[in-house]
Amino acid sequence: MTTTDPARTDLGFTDPDPRRSGPLDRIPGILLPIVSVLLAFAIGGILIWLQGVNPFYAYWVLFSNALGSSEGLIRVMEKSTPLILTGLAVTVGLRAGLFNIGAQGQLLVGAVGAAWAGYAFTVPAIIHLPVAIIFGMLCGAAWASIAGVLRAYRSVSEVITTIMLNSIAIALVDYLASRPLKEPDQPLSRTPAIAESAALPSFGIIPSGFVLAVIVALFFGWFLVRTTSGFRFNTVGLNPNAARYAGISVKGTIVLAMAVSGALAGMGGAIETLGVTGRFEPAFNAGLGFDGITIALLARANPIAAIPAALLVGTLRAGAATLQFETGIEPEVVDVILAITLLLVAAPIVARLLFRRRAMKQTTVTSRWGS
Amino acid sequence: MHRKLLAAGVIAAALVLASCSSSTDEAATDSTAAASEAAPAESTEAAPAEEAPAEEAPADAAPALTTDDSNCAAPENFCIGLVTDTGKVDDKSFNQSAWEGAQEAANVTGGFAKFIETTDPKDYLNNIAQFTSKAYDVIVTVGFLMGEASIEAAKANPTTNFVGVDQFQGEAIPNLTGLVFPEDKAGYAAGYLAGLMTKTNKLGAVLGTDTVPPVKLFGEGYKAGVLAANPEADVTIVYHEPNNAFNDPEWGAAEAKKQLSQGADIIFGAGGNTGNGALIEIAKAPGAGETIFCIGVDTDQFFTVPQAQKCLLTSAEKKLKQGTADLILAAKDGAFPGGNFLGNTGLAPYHNTEAVVPDDVKSQVDAVIAGLADGSIETGVTLG
Amino acid sequence: MSARWAYILGGVIVAGIVVAFFMDEIRTVSVLSFSLRYAVPLILAAMVGIICERSGVINIGIEGQMLMSAFAGFFGAAITGNLILGTLIGIGTGMIMGGFLAVGAVTWKMDQIIAGTIINILATGLTSFLYAQGYVLPGVTPTVRIPLLADIPLVGPVLFNNGLFTYAAIIISIVLWGLLFRTIWGLRTRSVGEKPSAADTSGIGVQRLRFVNVTFAGGLAGLAGAYLALEAAGTFERGFTAGRGFTALAIMIFGAWNPLGAMFAAIFFGLTQGVASQLQADEVLAIPPQFVNMLPYVLTIVLLAAVSGRISPPAAVGKPYEKD
Repeated sequence: MTTTDPARTDLGFTDPDPRRSGPLDRIPGILLPIVSVLLAFAIGGILIWLQGVNPFYAYWVLFSNALGSSEGLIRVMEKSTPLILTGLAVTVGLRAGLFNIGAQGQLLVGAVGAAWAGYAFTVPAIIHLPVAIIFGMLCGAAWASIAGVLRAYRSVSEVITTIMLNSIAIALVDYLASRPLKEPDQPLSRTPAIAESAALPSFGIIPSGFVLAVIVALFFGWFLVRTTSGFRFNTVGLNPNAARYAGISVKGTIVLAMAVSGALAGMGGAIETLGVTGRFEPAFNAGLGFDGITIALLARANPIAAIPAALLVGTLRAGAATLQFETGIEPEVVDVILAITLLLVAAPIVARLLFRRRAMKQTTVTSRWGS
Repeated sequence: MHRKLLAAGVIAAALVLASCSSSTDEAATDSTAAASEAAPAESTEAAPAEEAPAEEAPADAAPALTTDDSNCAAPENFCIGLVTDTGKVDDKSFNQSAWEGAQEAANVTGGFAKFIETTDPKDYLNNIAQFTSKAYDVIVTVGFLMGEASIEAAKANPTTNFVGVDQFQGEAIPNLTGLVFPEDKAGYAAGYLAGLMTKTNKLGAVLGTDTVPPVKLFGEGYKAGVLAANPEADVTIVYHEPNNAFNDPEWGAAEAKKQLSQGADIIFGAGGNTGNGALIEIAKAPGAGETIFCIGVDTDQFFTVPQAQKCLLTSAEKKLKQGTADLILAAKDGAFPGGNFLGNTGLAPYHNTEAVVPDDVKSQVDAVIAGLADGSIETGVTLG
Repeated sequence: MSARWAYILGGVIVAGIVVAFFMDEIRTVSVLSFSLRYAVPLILAAMVGIICERSGVINIGIEGQMLMSAFAGFFGAAITGNLILGTLIGIGTGMIMGGFLAVGAVTWKMDQIIAGTIINILATGLTSFLYAQGYVLPGVTPTVRIPLLADIPLVGPVLFNNGLFTYAAIIISIVLWGLLFRTIWGLRTRSVGEKPSAADTSGIGVQRLRFVNVTFAGGLAGLAGAYLALEAAGTFERGFTAGRGFTALAIMIFGAWNPLGAMFAAIFFGLTQGVASQLQADEVLAIPPQFVNMLPYVLTIVLLAAVSGRISPPAAVGKPYEKD
């Protein structure tokens, strides 16, 4: 009789236990998120139907507008970009046994950092753009590192510190945009517009920020599986004791994983600023970090799967306004659908329907709340 | 129209089913017990929603010429679109007033009106584009924060007329009219009334954030008006912080209570739900409507915040509904002004406090309102 | 936190309040009343966190539980025309939301953070989607002045002239402190949160106790939500809990998972808000409000960093309990 220390043993994102194989168990884990999404859409469809709208028509409107025109596609890609990155931020943390729910704060800090770097200098684009992005990433990494260092050296739960850091970040960027970094001679709380040389270009209809996010996701798909450093993350996440015996610095890996996670979220913020909004305003960027949690779980902590997961969420978000325009359904229906998706994918509801009872090991990511 | 009620029931049922179908041996009984409780309570909570859908088909009642937006490009059809600031058309505030104006214009012209509620400020342009892509005739964009998006959309769609509510235009664009209001004048008139009515010579104000110019104009105008009527008076103004400034009714209520207990007898609440929280709190105070009063903002809050009726002296009104409707009608008649259009401001009727306000106060306030209108009285308020 | 520092800090604050009282009675009393009022939902929400964590379950869904209960309580009261019924509906909804966390985190052994996150997202989406305008509360919650006690200078008007929810919050904190540290239930709860395997060996039903505690704690979140809608704001608006459920987590930690400590921590943070807005209103000193708002969070992080090891959460928190 022991309490499990599940973060150390099983991320819960593994496929069903082969020893208890049921008829469906050979189908890879991709089935769970797909069925969950479909079920969530079905429940959302009932909600829509109860409002007097044909759900098939509503979903058709939602998807056809988002995916059926180049403007729609651009919007979906723009919406998905920060979501891929915050999804990755959460994923990298999960792989190392850390639950980073502070992606929102890291993204905000990255966004305001990139805005500052974007307007404060006058240098050629070839230097300015990378500098601004990297500066945003560093801001996000630094912000997350507070939680990483406290976790590694003071045994303070990263969950609680990242919640606190989210709230501090919201207040901090608000302060920065309304006082020291405020654009002069106008009343709004916002920074000046970034210089032309710091703006992310588009390749045809494809925003370069999206390309960047996809490349980063693919990189992490390779990094986490194929490299020694990636292996360290996984080992520390799965079994820190084994990692210690193998000579891996657990503390160093925790700090590094958290910093990388923050850098990814910060990059999401930087791309928003440099590619979409052109400046920082506190009202921008709301909720992006929290969608990251949904995406990471939907992708089952797989970096490459974060791309389709983010595209799905981005499509819903991009299509919500059209849905209201065409059918009168309030845009909040998207939040309800996403919440149900998260519930189905994370709770053992669908898993138990699909696989044998108890065949699915439970998802437990967080390890310790404090010391 | 029990649709939303049903919706809630279905969600409750789904959750119940979900928990039943897979609850494990150990706490199975517990979870079903919790779930079966869920069903009735969840349905009750949703019941209020019944009335909502009625708003969604406003044009039905119109002398229906244009009943949908399938062919807005045809000259005989008149389509009005509205994009809210990040907020809802039932916000009891500017989004709602502007939408009522759009509906009224649709009724008068036999046109068709529709809205989109913005959920993310990055979507302003895209939401406007929904309407332009269907060749809407007039698009109302609500709120100061949409200013730049409106300018960009107006330049890109020269044949569509745009009404920018609370959006001051620096450079005139023929198909974009900023509907702006001298909020300081409305605040001044309200302050003047308060200055005459106060017995304690202490006045308060609970406002949204001073980073939004109309709010600051209201506040500064109020203060100037109080001091003009009553130089002895002491005015206390608190602003909410910018984050969540217009949706913190608890804070507004707590601040109002604090000002009341420090002796203020008339308090101006201006700032969306935050200000409404202040009004509702003041209405609870002993003596509300007799010695303690509140002043609302934007629309006649006697109707939008009925809980505050008891204390409500008046509201510093921006005739937003009227201004929006007027501009839409001007567009229909081909007389769309462009540039800036100065909407009316004023004080709402006294309603329940009609008998409490002395006649000489009423006439003095009327004189001030007239003076503000003809320019003989200036508020002296400028935003630095 | 070493108790000495807490006492010193408390002493300084009390001395400051007394001095302020002799300088300006009206302002001092009104600022203190503001602080208490600000603290009420935070106290109740922190109690939710304390019960859950003392039982070994992290509850980051307090925000969503409060929002959902405020919604149900407000519309319940508006439709039934009865504030007491509305309050009960709010509390009941809170318990359902608590039961939801219990099913997820205890029965299903889901990740507790994810279960809480789902509650938050679902509550935000649902209350916003189902919201409807045009409903008004049937009345006003009464303010109860306690005779004699309310006549004590300074303390009286602040503490003994309040709404029922305020008294409830203070009484619940004290009672919960007693329950946790002086009763069998408290002993069992703490053992389930610290060393569930030992508790199990000694015959305590770990799962059952956790399930019941988390569900009932949800009822307190319901009370907090009902307070916000029915007494504090007198209305329901979308998202109007404005992060108070997260502030409560900071307060829980700042109060060292002790109900009385959390109560004082909540009042302390209420006081910082009250003093800052008073300074702004009197045009004495405009502290950027953002700094005041981040204070609880910054202090919590500093505290955790400084005294980790000496102040720590229940050992088994966050871990589902499984028999071998």
